[in-house]
Amino acid sequence: MGKLTIGCFSSLVGSMTLDFAVKLAEAARKKGHDVDMWLSGNGTMLSKKGQRSFKDYSSLEKTITGLVEGGANVTACEACAESRGYHKEDVISSFGRKSMDWYLASCFSADRVLHIGGE
Amino acid sequence: MKVGVFLSEHTKSNDTLDRLSAGSFSLVLVQNGVYFAALKEDGQKSSVLSKGTKVYALSEDLESRGLEPSQVDSGVTVVNYDGLVDLIFNEFGKTIWL
Amino acid sequence: MAIKKMAFIVDKLPYKSETSRLALTHAIASQTVEIHLEDGENVEPVLAFIGEGVLNCLRNQKASEAYGVTTLESHIKNALLTDIKVLICEEDVKNYGLTEEQIIMDAEDIGADMPSELVPFSTIMSEMESADHILYF
Repeated sequence: MGKLTIGCFSSLVGSMTLDFAVKLAEAARKKGHDVDMWLSGNGTMLSKKGQRSFKDYSSLEKTITGLVEGGANVTACEACAESRGYHKEDVISSFGRKSMDWYLASCFSADRVLHIGGE
Repeated sequence: MKVGVFLSEHTKSNDTLDRLSAGSFSLVLVQNGVYFAALKEDGQKSSVLSKGTKVYALSEDLESRGLEPSQVDSGVTVVNYDGLVDLIFNEFGKTIWL
Repeated sequence: MAIKKMAFIVDKLPYKSETSRLALTHAIASQTVEIHLEDGENVEPVLAFIGEGVLNCLRNQKASEAYGVTTLESHIKNALLTDIKVLICEEDVKNYGLTEEQIIMDAEDIGADMPSELVPFSTIMSEMESADHILYF
């Protein structure tokens, strides 16, 4: 088994790219791989707790919480989150919040990296 | 191992894709990139499929867009998320998301 | 001693979206990555601008005056100040009718020794091939 680091910089609402990233992370975990997920830029929206679920918008809070409980490490860029008003108390408790060097360290130890830049 | 190039957009051209040498990468069509797997361009299959590379397309993204397996070009291998994970670990040394 | 090379490739335009800015800030974050790694481990970053991305490298950006945000120019200069290898695709610079004088070729004004380099796309491709991971922005 290996380690996959996924970086995702796309927003939760207005794009389906985070849905892709989370589904890929779930599939990798089910196969027994270690998974780190880094959320930066608009991707930090995924870390905001208490988002209301509408059928017209992607809603991943339950999915991502389950993914973390299943052993994935999901971490959001602290500066990107703070600049958007997502403070520590606003973030899903199981999420990490780190600086950008954490992502590079995760890439360092990863067997594979899928970096999904912004849109 | 080859580079796995993930193509997520459906645009007329992609500079980076055009510049990559065919032997160096495999192509994974995801999100709007899956249209290349099924739609014709002037009656011909997409030029994206004619780069001499192995091409994969994500089944969930085809189905989401109303594209049937029967519409997919015979040169394209359809994979699900499980298959994608296996490709990333077993076939691709590195990845690029375009 | 384990060193992993990471290629930060930028092909997006600046300012309308933050993508190229995040490429710069993540590349510069390589300067502090050691705090998360074991002794002897480190990241070797290479930052390359291709396609429309070369337009991040225009000199005399004034976004700080217009919008109050850090310019991409200052980020590129900071990358040079921290000795990050900065490559700019010369075919793309030429295609846009730009000259070397219009491009950020050094950061001597802030004390950087490392210049940026105008190189053929094939050189950037070689860097991507030799990198352990490619972060494509």
